[in-house]
Amino acid sequence: MKNKFIHKSILFICIAIITSIQSQSLLDKLDKEFSNIVFDEIATFKTTRLGLMHSIETRKKGALQLSLYFRYWDTPNATGQKFLADEVSTRYGLEYAFTDNFTFGLGYTNFDKIADGFLKYRLLKQKNKDKKGWFSLTLVQTLSHRKVENTSGNLYQPSTSSEDIYAFVTQALFARKFNPNLSIQIAPTFIHRASNSNSNDANNQFAIGFGGRHKITKHTSLVSEYNYVVNPVKSFDTYNTFMIGVNWEVSDLMLQFHLTNARNFAEDTFLTQTTNNFNFKDPNLHFGVNATYIIHTKKKKIKEITD
Amino acid sequence: MNKILLFLLLSFFMADLSSAQNQQIARQGQVSFFSYTSVENIEANNNQVLSIIDYSKSKIAVSMLMRAFVFKKDLMYEHFNESYIESDLYPKANFEGIIIDFDENLASQTKIIKGQLSIHGVTKDIEIKTKIQKNKGNYTLDGEFDVLVKDFKINIPPILASNIAKTIAIKFRFQYQPYEE
Repeated sequence: MKNKFIHKSILFICIAIITSIQSQSLLDKLDKEFSNIVFDEIATFKTTRLGLMHSIETRKKGALQLSLYFRYWDTPNATGQKFLADEVSTRYGLEYAFTDNFTFGLGYTNFDKIADGFLKYRLLKQKNKDKKGWFSLTLVQTLSHRKVENTSGNLYQPSTSSEDIYAFVTQALFARKFNPNLSIQIAPTFIHRASNSNSNDANNQFAIGFGGRHKITKHTSLVSEYNYVVNPVKSFDTYNTFMIGVNWEVSDLMLQFHLTNARNFAEDTFLTQTTNNFNFKDPNLHFGVNATYIIHTKKKKIKEITD
Repeated sequence: MNKILLFLLLSFFMADLSSAQNQQIARQGQVSFFSYTSVENIEANNNQVLSIIDYSKSKIAVSMLMRAFVFKKDLMYEHFNESYIESDLYPKANFEGIIIDFDENLASQTKIIKGQLSIHGVTKDIEIKTKIQKNKGNYTLDGEFDVLVKDFKINIPPILASNIAKTIAIKFRFQYQPYEE
């Protein structure tokens, strides 16, 4: 009796298993074939900058990126009448992607007369399957140059000489796209200045940048970043930089609007020499607009469907 | 009892085997789509599309990864995946259908395939006119059809409405071979 019951139940289980195998749809069979395909995550950030600092993103091979970064601010007790804002600083930038992972860029800022260049390399890419790579890493090396006019001699025989000041910034950008909306970036930074106006100031400084974006709609996102300097210069008061803003993507054009206390664009200056805190008093509040436009100099060939 | 069990098992396995024999798979199927507007033309191609056909039951299934589409410009690829198709959330497009009045012995025939197309998490009933050819026992399917962007809840912001066509033309071609797991 017991034996019969076991037989019956085995029979039932067998039929259940077999019918479940047979009812496996054609789509289920196709699903199995896709199970081990791994992709790189795309668009951790929508453009190559968060706002002030670089993001892990680079453009793909052959892309030429033109950028205009503006920063507007008001001066207290301004005498003249200016439209919109009292002062404006503009950085004219150009970036070219030699490969999908390697970018070279140049820029010039008219307000502080700093020329800067950088190399950017994507070392690691986050994968869509967590086990194979859960973050992205991009290395950035920048070089900036400015000329400083020194007046020396005495009242009757003034002589001016100019000095070239170079500064270098090395950054490791770590970022992770946690979900389609949220991405976070952490950037340990090393700053080296070849010469200092004040000998008490350290030539080498360390900083760490924190940044993130959260998508609001499919084409807009909220971005923010904070850069903490570990050993600020001693000869004058400096503040850590903060930025909050909105990114708006319009086809090939990217617009980034933000509020910040940083006035300069070159990494070494805005990180270590921002002399105003973030608040709404003039001249501390800066309104920034970054406009970035991409031109594809190389286009991929698309295979036509052939017999 | 044991004999009955064995017989049942065998017969079911036989049935399962024979159904696999009537199936053919295409692992490098091609699907392209086109959006023509006066502002810009967008085209993309995916040549890793999977399709399986069960010719004894006139059934067909197609599956493709949205990330495998190749575009002329890389920014198009990013926008397609990030902002329109949302391939993080909906990685695949699928189709499952039945070939109406399919005759597995004809060398060439044009038939209607009736089924459900799923893109961007939305499933629509669709009928696709398809040319079916049989060469040395292997089938080849090709054809083209149109889909409306708004049918699949793909939002195009008004500022970009002139860049993307409202109707997308889709072409496909699948070459099948006997299916082995």
